[in-house]
Amino acid sequence: MQKLLNSILRNGTLLLFIFLMGISLLFVSKNQSYQQSTFLSVENNIAVSFYEIRNHIFSYFKHRSHNQLLIEENQYLLSQLVKENNQPLILDSIPFEIIPGQVIRNSIQLNHNYITLNIGAKDGVKKEMGIITSKGVVGVVYDTNENTSGVISILNKALKINAKLKKSHHFGSLFWDGLSPNVMVLSDVPLAANVEVGDTIVTGGMSAIFPAGIELGVINKVDVPLNDNYFNLSVSLFQDLSNLNRVYAVNIPASEAIKEMIIENE
Amino acid sequence: MNSLSSLLLRFLTLMFLQAFIFDPFVLGVAYAPFIYVLLLIFIPNDWPSWVVLLVGFFIGLSADIIFFSGGVHTIACLIVSFARPLLIRAVYRDTLSPKDLKIEHEPFGNLFLYAIVIVLVHHLFLFISIVVTLNRLGWLLSAWAANSILTILAVSFILLLSRNSKS
Repeated sequence: MQKLLNSILRNGTLLLFIFLMGISLLFVSKNQSYQQSTFLSVENNIAVSFYEIRNHIFSYFKHRSHNQLLIEENQYLLSQLVKENNQPLILDSIPFEIIPGQVIRNSIQLNHNYITLNIGAKDGVKKEMGIITSKGVVGVVYDTNENTSGVISILNKALKINAKLKKSHHFGSLFWDGLSPNVMVLSDVPLAANVEVGDTIVTGGMSAIFPAGIELGVINKVDVPLNDNYFNLSVSLFQDLSNLNRVYAVNIPASEAIKEMIIENE
Repeated sequence: MNSLSSLLLRFLTLMFLQAFIFDPFVLGVAYAPFIYVLLLIFIPNDWPSWVVLLVGFFIGLSADIIFFSGGVHTIACLIVSFARPLLIRAVYRDTLSPKDLKIEHEPFGNLFLYAIVIVLVHHLFLFISIVVTLNRLGWLLSAWAANSILTILAVSFILLLSRNSKS
C-alpha cells in the first residue's frame, strides 16, 4: 500500500496529465453532436454577449463593404422582380418570409463549424429555420436564445442539404467534406443526369427548411465513380463562408404542415 | 506572488487581444495567429509541474471558450505544458536545467528558438486534434484501448516466456 502511494505521488504529474486529458476528450466528444454541446459551444451566454459588443465596434469599420453588399442584393432582388413579371418566379410557390440579421461570430477552421447571429426568439427565429444570404445558403438554426441564435454552418460535417441541378432538376444531397471552405460535395445525383462542369446547383426544396431555387454554386469537378450509379460532384459555392455579414432567416409558415406531410408519406 | 500577478496581467491582455482583434471573423480572413500561445512560454519555470499543467489546461479552456472550439485548444495546451521541460531541454541542449530558465533574462536568439518550438508543437497537436476528433474520436479511443490490451497481453506473455527459458 505504501509502495502504491509512493508511486502515485512520484507520478502525480503524469496522472494529473492523463486526468486533464480525459476531461478535454470528454469536452471534445460532447461537442461532436449539436444536441448535446457543452458550455464550450455556442449557447455560452457570456461569450455571446461579448461578441455582440465586439460586433458593434467592428461593424463601424465594415460599413463600406456592407454597402457594397447591399447594392448587390438590391440588384439581385430587382432581377428577381423582373423575372417575376415575365415568367413564373424561380423560387417555389410556397410562401415564406425572411428575418434580417447579422453574423456576430463565425468559424471555418474546425470540422464542426457554428455561427452565431444577433437575432433570436424575440425576432421570431425558431429552431430548424434556414439561414440564407443573397448568394446562397449559410446554415440551419439549432438553438435560439432571447437575442441570439446558434446556427450549424453548412461547413459542418453533420449537415446535409437537399439540392438539385438547376437545368435538369435531378436531386442530390450537398455536404461538406471538411477540406476547403469554398467547396462542397454533391452526392446521389444519378449517372443518368447530364452533368457538366459549370452547371448551377440550387436548393431542392424537399426539406421545408429552405425554399426551392436558391442558387448555391457551380459544379467545378465531375467524378464518375467506378462501381456506383451516382456522380460524385464537387461544387464551388457562390457565398464565401469566411466573409459573412448580413444574413436572412427563412421562416416558412407552412413548414410544420409540410413536415407532417413528409412524415405521412414516409 | 509577483510572478503570478504578472502572468495574470499577460493572460488578460493576450486573451483580450486574441478575442477582439486576432480572430479570423474580425479580420475577414481564414486564419489568424493564436497569440495566446505566448502564455505557455510565460508560465514561470520554477513553478511545480502540476501547477504548470493546471495553468496550461486553464489557458486552453479559455481559448476554447473564445473560439467555441469545444476542447481542441485545451488538448494542444495540455500537451505543450506537459512536454515543456522536454522542449526546453531540446532547445538549450542540457546547458541548463529547465527550472533555472528565466524568460526575462534570455538573449533574444534563444527565446526566439524556444518560441518557435512551442508554437510548432502546439499547432501540430491543435490541428491533429481537429482532424482526429471529427468523427473518428470514438474509433480512435476504442481501437487504441482494444489493440493496446491485446499487444500488452502478447508482449507480457513473450517476456514471461523469454525469462523462463533463460532461468
